[in-house]
Amino acid sequence: MTPPRSHSDAGAGSNGRPSKRSKAGKNGSANGSSRFYGMPLPGVRTEDLSGSLIVVEGTDGSGRSTQISLLTEWLEGEGFAVETMGLRRSFLVGEDIDALLAENAVTRTTLALMYSTDFFDQLERRILPALRSGLIVLADRYIFTLIARAAVRGIGRDYLHGIYDIALRPDLTFWLNVRPEVAFDREFNKSQTISYWESGRDMSLSNDLFQSFIRYQSMIKREFEYLSKRHGFIELDGEANVSKVNGVLRKRIASQLGIRSTTYKPSHALAHLWR
Amino acid sequence: MATVTPEISIAENPLPGRAAAAKRAYPGALVVVEGIDGSGKSTQLHLLKRWLEIGGYRIHFTEWNSSPLVKSATRRGKQRRLLTPTTFSMLHAADFADRCERQILPLLHGGYLVLADRYVYTAFARDAARGCSPHWLRNLYSFAPVPDITFYFRAPLDVAVNRIVAGRPKLKYYEAGMDLGISLDRAESFRIFQEKILNHYDQMVDTDHFVLMDGTVRVNKLQKLMRQLLVERVDLKQFAPKKK
Repeated sequence: MTPPRSHSDAGAGSNGRPSKRSKAGKNGSANGSSRFYGMPLPGVRTEDLSGSLIVVEGTDGSGRSTQISLLTEWLEGEGFAVETMGLRRSFLVGEDIDALLAENAVTRTTLALMYSTDFFDQLERRILPALRSGLIVLADRYIFTLIARAAVRGIGRDYLHGIYDIALRPDLTFWLNVRPEVAFDREFNKSQTISYWESGRDMSLSNDLFQSFIRYQSMIKREFEYLSKRHGFIELDGEANVSKVNGVLRKRIASQLGIRSTTYKPSHALAHLWR
Repeated sequence: MATVTPEISIAENPLPGRAAAAKRAYPGALVVVEGIDGSGKSTQLHLLKRWLEIGGYRIHFTEWNSSPLVKSATRRGKQRRLLTPTTFSMLHAADFADRCERQILPLLHGGYLVLADRYVYTAFARDAARGCSPHWLRNLYSFAPVPDITFYFRAPLDVAVNRIVAGRPKLKYYEAGMDLGISLDRAESFRIFQEKILNHYDQMVDTDHFVLMDGTVRVNKLQKLMRQLLVERVDLKQFAPKKK
């Protein structure tokens, strides 16, 4: 299957894959433009961004948040300052999205655009300043979850890539891949219930919650498989135990940041996560 | 430059962002007024609406930025001056998407004549004046149906600006384009901002088939022309009251 092309890729290459080179040339800046997918955000000087952006993607139950807590502790132990971002954490619209989700009276394009507002508010007001100051930003999900969720609801992939064309390209993107059945078990064990949105109940897939969850998460997973190829994710087995996954993450991040030692043992406070 | 004309998709499940083959997949019609502040567009649309209401036509009036959905976020962002050109633009797009999906599209499918005071071209002109990429903006709003007529009210910059400045004690921060840092003087900033917007509007006259309306013409004379043009372009019979 040929992946659909976005508008932004139209001039980039004949194979539909994003091309860093041609875009960097188009934007005129000598070194920094490849840090964005397309045009950089208005008013941003990419050469000022000395920090690193590391993204961890994966569905609920993939161990994402656990890994981010552990990585934060490890990096801080190595002397790196860390900033985090995630969904619905913007000051501008974070709470508004919570309210919209609770009411369930919102249509899909509006919701997708509220999420992108939330994303860009965090990016422009928190993440870019952090990167300018040389911090390591750990993103607990990024544009990819937003694209996947909207795409399975019928919003065009080209449209979505067009919106996030001005987003910052991560230095590393990890995808913690787990089977939907495993994610279901983990989520259910954690909260004794399954969230309305994580099971895609707005999509009328099945009246049976388990079936709905599995179908929805399988659709999301297919989007991620496509996104993974397009954006060069580092795919990890999210079903492996926490310490093993963490070891792989540390190794890749260490080589990206030039950290020599990757040995790490969680503090007492985080020891319960170490399974 | 490649531009994506906003077009309505044909399927029952329209995919935003996908240009459709058929231009009109609904029995309704969409009439839009555009132009900078003080160009006279709202006055003229109000008069058009009055005329259609008296005639008993099936119409619906919609305004830019009127959805309660994102009002709290917009207010918070404006009060505390948190909005960047990108988030300003996105928030208005979210607001418009809500109106589009819950009002404009259902009404067009239900056979209404929809009158819109400002439409996506407001975002194209204003947000581009703020520094957003026109190409990015076109994509952002590509889910919007294409109007049947877009009346573009054009008045000379001084005329339009004086109408606004004279009638308003204080220009608001974003309204005056103060976030662009053009000038510390609000009136001066407003003028320069409006000029930039005007230039972006002018560039769309041909590409987006605007019907140019001279905002300096006397109100009732201009309204007569507007009604004539509407009758020529839209088959009003479809929206007329049904006889028993």
